[in-house]
Amino acid sequence: MTSADATTAARRDRAAATNGETEAFEAAVRPHYAPLVRRLALVLGDPHDAEDVAQDTYLSAFRSWDRFDGTDVRAWLYTIGLRLAFNHRRGRRRWLAAIGRIEPRPWSDPSDPDLWAALSALDPSTRSALLLNVLDGYTQAEIAAMLSVPEGTVASWVSRGRAALRRELGPDR
Amino acid sequence: MDHDDDLSGDDLHGRLAALEARVPVDPTPPTLPSRRRRGRFAVPIALAPVFVLAVVATAAAGAVVVSNLAEGNPGIQNPGQPLAGAHMECMSPPEADAFLAEHGFADVDWQVETGTTVAPDGGKGSSTTVHQATPPEHGYVIPGSVHDNGKVIMVADQRVGATGVGDCFGSPMP
Repeated sequence: MTSADATTAARRDRAAATNGETEAFEAAVRPHYAPLVRRLALVLGDPHDAEDVAQDTYLSAFRSWDRFDGTDVRAWLYTIGLRLAFNHRRGRRRWLAAIGRIEPRPWSDPSDPDLWAALSALDPSTRSALLLNVLDGYTQAEIAAMLSVPEGTVASWVSRGRAALRRELGPDR
Repeated sequence: MDHDDDLSGDDLHGRLAALEARVPVDPTPPTLPSRRRRGRFAVPIALAPVFVLAVVATAAAGAVVVSNLAEGNPGIQNPGQPLAGAHMECMSPPEADAFLAEHGFADVDWQVETGTTVAPDGGKGSSTTVHQATPPEHGYVIPGSVHDNGKVIMVADQRVGATGVGDCFGSPMP
């Protein structure tokens, strides 16, 4: 084999590996994309912001796909997404503060407005921890690892979130 | 039916799941970029002078910015830093101190700001700064940076009129 042949073969192998990686990534992550957008919408309060952050999450996950340990795709994706969402909120808050704190019109759910209002009143960290715990069944230790906070902090968030919802929704609501 | 009990069980799960399912979404993920790298000299040769000028201008601007920085240390929660995304701004000072210790940062200088953000006449308020090794009981935590000697500088803002930062902007002072 000549040197030119070897170079061509190496390029072909690299391209095949790249295509294989992309397919593996898409197959693993695609089923979690729409649920991620929905979750981010609940955390951010705005489906359009959620789609922006979900797209950033998807691309960020793709770039770090070779470092993913392969255990729980959803947890890995949600970890990236929620961290981006928190930063997104921080940026938006600074921007809103700079222009006089004009809040955009948030999404509201007409089917269960009390629940949506009660959930919206929680801070994003508490809301995220509560949803990960109640909806996804992650333990407080798992959530602590995902959000990079101590387990006690998660326990406090989940407890505070449940208490707030109980208080706001109360009987007959 | 005791709604209180329901909220800690299936009802809360069911209502939250239904709420989440009603969020309108476009389920199509974005198109992935090619991971193939461009050639090293992909910029057309005609654009080379513009490219050189841009590099020189960027370097000059960067030097000015760096020379104006009082502290060159990036924030401990900045992307790529040891505690990126930790949200210490939502903790009380003792919680943040315990969190730092848990993550191996035992040498913390707490910079406690007291006073007011706004003067009675509506002008700029005045504040007093005290440095201490132990965290104060109360105050908004403003995450600082790790210095070359390993010391972490954290701010606890106790000024009247302070608002907190980040995710806890506007929340009650811990």
